[in-house]
Amino acid sequence: MRFLDLLGMSINNLRRRKLRTALTVLGVIIGTASVVVMVSLGIGLNGLMMEMYSSYGSMTSIDIYSGGGRYYASSSSGSSGSEEEQYITDDTIEQFKRLEHVKTASPILQTDIILKQGLYEAGVNIEGVSREYLEDIPLGQGALPDPGSDELKFIYGNGIIRWFSNSKTGEGFWEIGEMPPVDYMNKPMFVIFDTSAYYQSRYPGGSDGGNTVKPPKKYMIEAAGVVEGGVDDYNNYTYSVYAEIEALKAQLKRIYRKNPIPGQPTNKKGKPYPYFIYNRAVVFVDDTANVTTVQQMITDMGFQANSQMEWIEQSQQTYDIIQLVLGGIGAVSLFVAAIGIANTMMMSIYERTKEIGVIKVLGCDLRNIRNMFLLESGFIGFLGGVIGVVISYGLGFIMNNFLGIAQAMTGMDGDISRIPVWLSGAAIIFAIFVGMVAGFFPSLRAMHLSPLAAIRNE
Amino acid sequence: MPSIPIIEVKNLYKIYKVGDTKVHALDGVDFSIYKGEFCAIVGPSGSGKSTLLNMLAGLEKPSKGEIVIDKIHIEHMTENQLVEFRRKRVGFIFQSYNLLKTLNAVENVALPLSFRGVPKKKRNAVAAEYLKLVGLEKQMKHMANAMSGGQQQRVGIARALAVNPRIIFADEPTGNLDSRTTMEILKLMRRIVREQQQTLVMVTHDNHLASYADRLFHIVDGKIFKIEEMHHADDDLEETENEKESKNSNNPDNGGGADSDSPSPDHADSYGAAV
Repeated sequence: MRFLDLLGMSINNLRRRKLRTALTVLGVIIGTASVVVMVSLGIGLNGLMMEMYSSYGSMTSIDIYSGGGRYYASSSSGSSGSEEEQYITDDTIEQFKRLEHVKTASPILQTDIILKQGLYEAGVNIEGVSREYLEDIPLGQGALPDPGSDELKFIYGNGIIRWFSNSKTGEGFWEIGEMPPVDYMNKPMFVIFDTSAYYQSRYPGGSDGGNTVKPPKKYMIEAAGVVEGGVDDYNNYTYSVYAEIEALKAQLKRIYRKNPIPGQPTNKKGKPYPYFIYNRAVVFVDDTANVTTVQQMITDMGFQANSQMEWIEQSQQTYDIIQLVLGGIGAVSLFVAAIGIANTMMMSIYERTKEIGVIKVLGCDLRNIRNMFLLESGFIGFLGGVIGVVISYGLGFIMNNFLGIAQAMTGMDGDISRIPVWLSGAAIIFAIFVGMVAGFFPSLRAMHLSPLAAIRNE
Repeated sequence: MPSIPIIEVKNLYKIYKVGDTKVHALDGVDFSIYKGEFCAIVGPSGSGKSTLLNMLAGLEKPSKGEIVIDKIHIEHMTENQLVEFRRKRVGFIFQSYNLLKTLNAVENVALPLSFRGVPKKKRNAVAAEYLKLVGLEKQMKHMANAMSGGQQQRVGIARALAVNPRIIFADEPTGNLDSRTTMEILKLMRRIVREQQQTLVMVTHDNHLASYADRLFHIVDGKIFKIEEMHHADDDLEETENEKESKNSNNPDNGGGADSDSPSPDHADSYGAAV
């Protein structure tokens, strides 16, 4: 028997009992829609989480610290621990770059500076980073310094302005709640690198006794740009000042000459090393999937390594469980719908006992009879699946646009219900599958009905 | 008299167990039916005639004995094989017509062809042809339950013929019809059997209806009691029919209105022409 004839007969039979078919399909619609909506919520939550993490910083970057951390190293220099200390130097950066899956690595040289503009000043942290790192920073104003130039230029975090305070009154944003009138781009900014000397000159006395210290030199440093975002927006670059590392190193060397640069560790004799030792490094990995592997390799080299992936993996597990629970709730209603299909098919076979007998007498193949009923129940599943998916899209649209559930649940803007194409496809196929499974035993029953039933007269 | 046996039945038994007692529905039956014959199996209810027909059509399995149809033993076939056997070789006419209510006349006649995988266009053409043969060219698109009993049985006959079977079984084909329609259907069946060189086995409890057949198998208590050969010349036939008609003329239960326009004399004419 041809498939189209078989399908035609099945659909004909469904059309004959419109109300019952509609009610059974309704069950499948509710079942499919609840599975799809629930899973879409799980996907949405997961997606919101990922967006949140990526707003904190690149998901493919790994932060690296020297084994014991720099504070440990500087405070207990000379102790046995410092000998095993793994410093991050240009050599180690090269090592990182050679690791598999590593796109690039950037050293980070941190130092504290004081910014002054007019009456306002702020103590901030400056990070010297590689050119590649700078290129990753989203700029709101300005542009990166020219690649070739040696001149030190700063890129300001969008939140830095909050740290400025009036040096006379000592009042800043945190005290009076007003933004200090600081303009990075259009007014000159003075920078003091030797902060300890500056504080000693400003607040003489203190712990060092009466030694007066000459105020350190101020340098005028041009701003290259400001990080994207308003003062209230947070991202990975909000609270730092960035500069190209080679320019920063050159500047520091000019200032301190032979003297030890603050923050740089010293050897056992108290002398600085002849090369720069970086506070941190960042390694960029080619793909999120490889982050954990690379992180492990770096840890094995004796460094501390952190990445977003650690957090993501943890919360991913949580969300997997949430998704499983949500999907399970939906699956219960689909299961109920399956029982409905089985019931409908059973009823329909009882009603059509005679008819089944007749087509058996007329020579309809047993497998065709079974397939006819399987197609019928599968078609119920298909219909319910398709309508259920359409309704799911509708429900998702309402949830995303009118109810503000994402805001209420996670505090983030974004779509809480996300139905990828694979989900709707899988839902329809699954609904067909459920229909066929539910119709399987009834169809076997139909197959084994006696043809004699047709001969009997009522 | 055709001499090729299309059905051979040898020493056939069917024994039902009811509680501890054994009921012999068929108790050793032997006979042969030849190609092109119109046979009637006659007997009172409970005589085992329906059981016999069911076994010939492969709907029931015999307890013992052989059934050879078209040189094929069917007594040991599985259900699947039996279905295939029926699909390829057997047409069936039911007492209660058993048309599919969701289909119209053409679709009903084409249904067994669809089981054979015949494409829709082709099978509908064949179905239309056979519907014309049974005189329903005007009711082709009518749904099964929108037709009178006689019309439905005509569709049933067309359905049995459409597959061009080796043999047609009819189980009390006129049992649900009034006597006037009964005669029409009976004459139609006989005409078609002659025209199409078909073999027809009909079960009935009515001796008079059975007398229209070429041969009569009288069954009583599961055994063939008597085989009767009827040698009716055409004149005899006309006579018996006219007799019947005249008997029915004062019968108020005169069939459905839709049937009244069926031209029975035409049938007789064409029958005569065919022979």
